[in-house]
Amino acid sequence: MKLNFARVVATLHLIVFILPSHVRSEEKPFRPEPGKFPPIEKAHAYRGELTFVDHANRRGSIRIDGNGRFRFTRPSPFALLPYGIVKYHGAPSDLRDIPLGTVMHVKAFLPPDPKTSSVPVLPSDNRLKRDGYAGTGVAPAENHVYLLEDEPSHCKRLGLVWKIQEVELKDNAGIIVAHRMSKSGNGDAHKETFSIDAATRFWRGREQLHISDLTDKNVLTENGIESLKDGVVFLGITWKPTPGGVFKRFHLRDIWLDKLAMERATHLQNETHKKFIMGRWMPGWVDKVEYGKFGQAKITVSLFGGMDDSLYADFKQGQKAMLAASENTLKHWAGGTAGTAQVASQGIVLDVSKPNKTVPLGSSGIQITLKTDLVTEGFRTGKVIRIRPESWPLLEVPREEYINHKRDGIEKRFPTPDIFPKY
Amino acid sequence: MKLNFAPWVAALHLVLFILVSHARSEEEPFRPEPGQFPPIEKAHTYRGELVFVDHANRRGSIRVQSEGMYYRIEPHPFAMLPFGMIRHRGAPADLRDIPLGTVLHVHAFLPPDPTTSPVPVMPISNKDKGYGYRGNGIFPAENHVLLLEDEISHCRRQGKVWVLKQLHIENHAGTIIARRVPAGNNDAKAEEETMTFDAATRIWRGRESLDVADLIAEDIWPAEGHKTLTGQTVQLGIMWKPTPKGVFTRFHISDIWLDDTAIQRATRSQNETHKAFVRSRWMPGWVDAVEYGTFGQAIVTVTLFGGMDDALYANFTKGISAMMNSVENTLKHAGGNYGPAHMASRGTILEVTKADGKIPLGSSGIRIQFQTDLIIEGIRPSRVIRICPGNWPQVNLPREEFIGDGNNPASRFPTPEIFPKY
Repeated sequence: MKLNFARVVATLHLIVFILPSHVRSEEKPFRPEPGKFPPIEKAHAYRGELTFVDHANRRGSIRIDGNGRFRFTRPSPFALLPYGIVKYHGAPSDLRDIPLGTVMHVKAFLPPDPKTSSVPVLPSDNRLKRDGYAGTGVAPAENHVYLLEDEPSHCKRLGLVWKIQEVELKDNAGIIVAHRMSKSGNGDAHKETFSIDAATRFWRGREQLHISDLTDKNVLTENGIESLKDGVVFLGITWKPTPGGVFKRFHLRDIWLDKLAMERATHLQNETHKKFIMGRWMPGWVDKVEYGKFGQAKITVSLFGGMDDSLYADFKQGQKAMLAASENTLKHWAGGTAGTAQVASQGIVLDVSKPNKTVPLGSSGIQITLKTDLVTEGFRTGKVIRIRPESWPLLEVPREEYINHKRDGIEKRFPTPDIFPKY
Repeated sequence: MKLNFAPWVAALHLVLFILVSHARSEEEPFRPEPGQFPPIEKAHTYRGELVFVDHANRRGSIRVQSEGMYYRIEPHPFAMLPFGMIRHRGAPADLRDIPLGTVLHVHAFLPPDPTTSPVPVMPISNKDKGYGYRGNGIFPAENHVLLLEDEISHCRRQGKVWVLKQLHIENHAGTIIARRVPAGNNDAKAEEETMTFDAATRIWRGRESLDVADLIAEDIWPAEGHKTLTGQTVQLGIMWKPTPKGVFTRFHISDIWLDDTAIQRATRSQNETHKAFVRSRWMPGWVDAVEYGTFGQAIVTVTLFGGMDDALYANFTKGISAMMNSVENTLKHAGGNYGPAHMASRGTILEVTKADGKIPLGSSGIRIQFQTDLIIEGIRPSRVIRICPGNWPQVNLPREEFIGDGNNPASRFPTPEIFPKY
């Protein structure tokens, strides 16, 4: 018998391919665990347009880019993990700060606890599924978000910039072709064509320019609009329906023409978020409780990450602080006449430590030990809390951002996915 | 016997008072009627912070201002009337353009048809009802909105400006005392309002975008302490943030426009955004009359809704081709899987006329006669349509902005279930 080597080799290749695929498909899908910040490397990454926001419950919907006909894609609901970070214009933010239509980069996981998911729970292999013209992976089961960031934040985090290659203008609208690349010019360059129109904002230093300003030679020196070519910029990306049968083309809402302009945008967003956190208190979770007598306890908490350093610096040893139980939506509990402060536990910060090790995204790496005379049921290991140093102003949060200890039912603690329309 | 007139006069007064009160309470409450733009004078007005938006269904929630504790007030759902107008930065806008937290002025009516209201239907007398610490009138039954406008749009419509009186600043944040007065009459009587500002407040001067630190660096504002602002006139962007020290209601300044150039540039940006939006979603209006011909032919007369940029109306000219599609009260296109053009009736514009005299808010006053070979069920008198002149770009809309095959009534008539109950 004469062996046909070609067939044997082909069969061997097939076996070698099938075996690892089978092993991979039987691998348990990764799910974040309570009390542990998940490794970002295990997150599923996608990008899409923010189409709906329920900021009070830290959830919303995104139209995910499945490399198909973008407008066919149904908005896909997402929820922020309690330690999930939102970044806008390169600074920390809340969902309410992000304009609808903004294109966001997402790093997300399967629901840690599907039973209490505030968004629909989908089959765990959904990201591999094709949804007709919309493309593949437009409704992934990984809808619990670790990191949600707009284009400038994404570029700043990864050390990327956009370089403009072509500009075509007609009647105050047109096309820009740009490359995204590392600041050094190395690495893979991603080329993309965007639309611009008369509402696109160009930021130069502390000026905000319109497209009509750019065609005025008194504003852009030398070659006018041509001088934008080869410029290194940051882009604010959004989506508008595209004419001419184009399947997917994103739109530029903002172009930051220089570093100063981008820094000023980052500064404004950072100031907005600092005030926000001072009003709502710093979120974290409980690492450990050492119970004493008569309701006394020492509680060690880890502060969540991604905030401005000056906020963390406000937590100092020996200072008074307030600690409040919170839900996974980061909603406070409130009651009586003093709101959130009334149901918070008061105490003294015994220790503030920052371990010298790599800190996972989601964590600040800062641990605080607080001694209180009033340990409550909400302070259990793995539970989410909010903490306020004495130096922050005591504010009353609006009604939709807290859970009333008497009036609100279970659905306020665990919002159901019923809010999201089915298409 | 001597008559005592005093008790008789008092009794007569009482009888008269009761009769008049009774007559007033039996007055039929005003509701907009199909095919008629309601007079703005009959609208109930209030203002409050935009808290939630479902832009695809043209509805949302507002925390309505009262004399009570503002932070305790639950968001109150509202729906835009099909001809309801939204103004942001002095220009027409869609709900998606308005940042959450913006304080808006509202002119609203009772639901025209309570059975299909996409927001909760409240008792008619609710605007007079008190809610303890939260104050009165915070959940008015008038939740179908004719006009929703931010502060700068409100001031520009009414010819008003803000006059700054005094500033207190500490660590790049503080308070400003100001009055809203008619432009050119800084001495007019108007109530003073104290508002907060902070390091994130944007200050617009010409084409510059400044912050508080810039004004301090230029010695325009002090770094610390008080300053009298000598009646400087500006426009303000107003929002709400929680306030310390037990203050019931104090709004926050998100933007200050220092001069006309800055204001005009902001208006132009928003106007351009909205022009592109309407060109892609088509101009809304409603059907005034249909003259049926033979074999599906008809001449349809429509009135275009108001509040858009003049350049958009100017695109409707006699003799050009156009497309007309039936839409819902949410202004969602019907049958849009293949784009609105797929289901739309095609034809020619026979006539464009503009009404003389006072035009009610909500209407453009522009009537169009459109001849088509394909008259459909959705194009009936008083029904809402969208119309597109032949020279607007043809785009397909995102999934949440059109109704599929119409089999699901919830997509045509969204229910109020989306709104949480507190």
